[in-house]
Amino acid sequence: MTGPAAAGTVYLVEIEGRPTTVTVTADGVSIDGQLIPATIDTVSDSPIRLLRLGDAVFELVPRRGERKGSYTIVLPAAGARVGVEALDERSRAVRTLRAATALATGPEPVRAPMPGLVTRVLVSVGDAVRPGDGLIVMEAMKMENELRAKSAGRVRSLPVAPGTAVEKGALLVELASD
Amino acid sequence: MFTKVLIANRGEIALRVIRACRELGVRTVAVYSDVDATAPHVRAADEAVAIGGPRATESYLRGDALIAAARRTGAEAIHPGYGFLSERAPFARAVRDAGLVWIGPPAEAIEALGSKTAARTLAGGAGVPIVPGTTEPLRDAEEAGRIAAGFGYPVLLKAAAGGGGKGMRVVRSRAELAGALDAARREALGAFGDDAVYVEKFIEGPRHVEIQVLGDTHGTMLSLGERECSVQRRHQKIIEEAPSVAVSPERRRAMGETAVRAARAAGYVNAGTCEFLLDRDGRFYFLEMNTRIQVEHPVTELVTGIDLVAWQLRIAAGERLPFRQEEIAPRGWALECRITSEDPANGFLPSTGRIAFLRAPSGAGVRWDGGIEPGSEVGLYYDPLLAKLIVWAPTRGEAVARMRRALGELVIDGVTTSRELLLQILADEEFRSGSIDIHWLERRLASLVERPPSPEALRAAAVAAALLTRADTPSPRGAPGGGPPGAGDGHRPGGTGAAGVGPGSGASANGDRIDGPSRWTSVARREAVRE
Repeated sequence: MTGPAAAGTVYLVEIEGRPTTVTVTADGVSIDGQLIPATIDTVSDSPIRLLRLGDAVFELVPRRGERKGSYTIVLPAAGARVGVEALDERSRAVRTLRAATALATGPEPVRAPMPGLVTRVLVSVGDAVRPGDGLIVMEAMKMENELRAKSAGRVRSLPVAPGTAVEKGALLVELASD
Repeated sequence: MFTKVLIANRGEIALRVIRACRELGVRTVAVYSDVDATAPHVRAADEAVAIGGPRATESYLRGDALIAAARRTGAEAIHPGYGFLSERAPFARAVRDAGLVWIGPPAEAIEALGSKTAARTLAGGAGVPIVPGTTEPLRDAEEAGRIAAGFGYPVLLKAAAGGGGKGMRVVRSRAELAGALDAARREALGAFGDDAVYVEKFIEGPRHVEIQVLGDTHGTMLSLGERECSVQRRHQKIIEEAPSVAVSPERRRAMGETAVRAARAAGYVNAGTCEFLLDRDGRFYFLEMNTRIQVEHPVTELVTGIDLVAWQLRIAAGERLPFRQEEIAPRGWALECRITSEDPANGFLPSTGRIAFLRAPSGAGVRWDGGIEPGSEVGLYYDPLLAKLIVWAPTRGEAVARMRRALGELVIDGVTTSRELLLQILADEEFRSGSIDIHWLERRLASLVERPPSPEALRAAAVAAALLTRADTPSPRGAPGGGPPGAGDGHRPGGTGAAGVGPGSGASANGDRIDGPSRWTSVARREAVRE
């Protein structure tokens, strides 16, 4: 069953960095100019969802990301693990507004990606850092991991020292706009 | 045969040994750290003894506590598994001195092979080919330069007590030598408390091919053929197979005889592995001997039909090997994939959490040696190896197809795993043609990780995201969902904001992991120090 897109909610979907549009209607979804019956079902006692797209079936395991509408979706059989974000138009407007505010507050702080032990601190307060510069070395799971700066900035505060045990999400380095 | 054996390990290998014991009618004693009190290996055993805190140094590395646990339960023998104390000669000796049987080689053989320098000296004496280099630790850069000039650059500096790539440096010219030697020494001292470093000829583009040996206490020493373990990253093996595309029956015989000679020279008994580098011209060089059961032992089991762990127990109990060397030849092809809790797309960042859901693959020719269950906590105290997936098929091509099928069935929810990278490797043309060497994966990693999913999968994910978001958005009338019939049917992720992964609850387990690459600063995994 294909045909012109019917009226419905338009979602702007960004998948692996590429934008596409999915319109959800009462009859299914409209994507790439095709209207296809689509449903998604839960599977009892399982995080697996069953997507029916026309007659095709796809198992998938979604995990919600931090932001509304963002998911990491694993498709077991396809061997794919994709980051995807779907926003309706209203949410997108809110997002744009927030982004403008965030820009004024400066670079994001560096947080611990996992619980572990800080083994080395590679920068000092006041240092200018460029994207890719090593900031902190953490030991976790018997491995040393170097955390690097994602954006340029100046080190504003360093609440940890070598030997500090930190929880996941702990603030490690605060950066200020240079 | 023993009546009771203590297994001084945890995770998948403890389960593997317990299974072998069960089949032999041997009772089992598990040991556990505080965080492992209800772990799968504890529940699988007949008896279990607490041995201390969550850190390995407080529990699985405490020889005294392990021996005390064996005494208390009346176990007659200790199986060390791999890692932890499995290659510590003093522990093997302490076990023997306590009147217990060590299920492994004699302490003297572990000692003779324990340091790479000692192993090289021993191999050289037994006529086993080794990579040209020194067997004595280097004194200084002067000496290193003189020796390196003898066999030409590039050369490799290696820590005598090394492992996991620490204290290793490739040096391409005399000018780099002094700085590299200092760095290697510093790293070796930090990692192993020993700054002895030696130098050897660096072999370009070699394969890692190892020979499994098995010897009894009655003088029989057999080679069980090779395993190819060239797919590795920072010296951590990722995929192993048996046999190897690079090993003909003649070369197998030559390598097997060499391995047996090395094992005999060390007075070896029980299961062991001789590691070789195989160069592009088919020359092979002995690297070292691993004096324990190895992670990748199942591929040898599947192509030889010999249960290595059962034979470790039987040999330790004094039984004779009933096979003759001529009877042992690989049949078909076996592959093993290591399923680890790390994120290859994000610098192999360790992933921790609770296993919310597990669907292990099954079906014809598939073996799952796992150490996790739904509810298992994957923490930072131990190795990130969650499970090994092993397949057998008549040919390599069929084994690769079977492994891809099996990995496609695997679902692990709760931590990020290496599954998708493994599938990318198996789909790669170079891997499929067998043209791999020990640097292949590092060379190809970026392109494998970045390879986009199929358009069909992307389209399905895009539709799913729209439907999930729709189901997750309160409708203007305030009713949840509000989408088309079926869209988000029953899907209402528990958006309560609760932290942590909800055990066993499908919907809420969906809600709260924060691990997208965008979330964190980029991470570069450094030195590996695990088994």
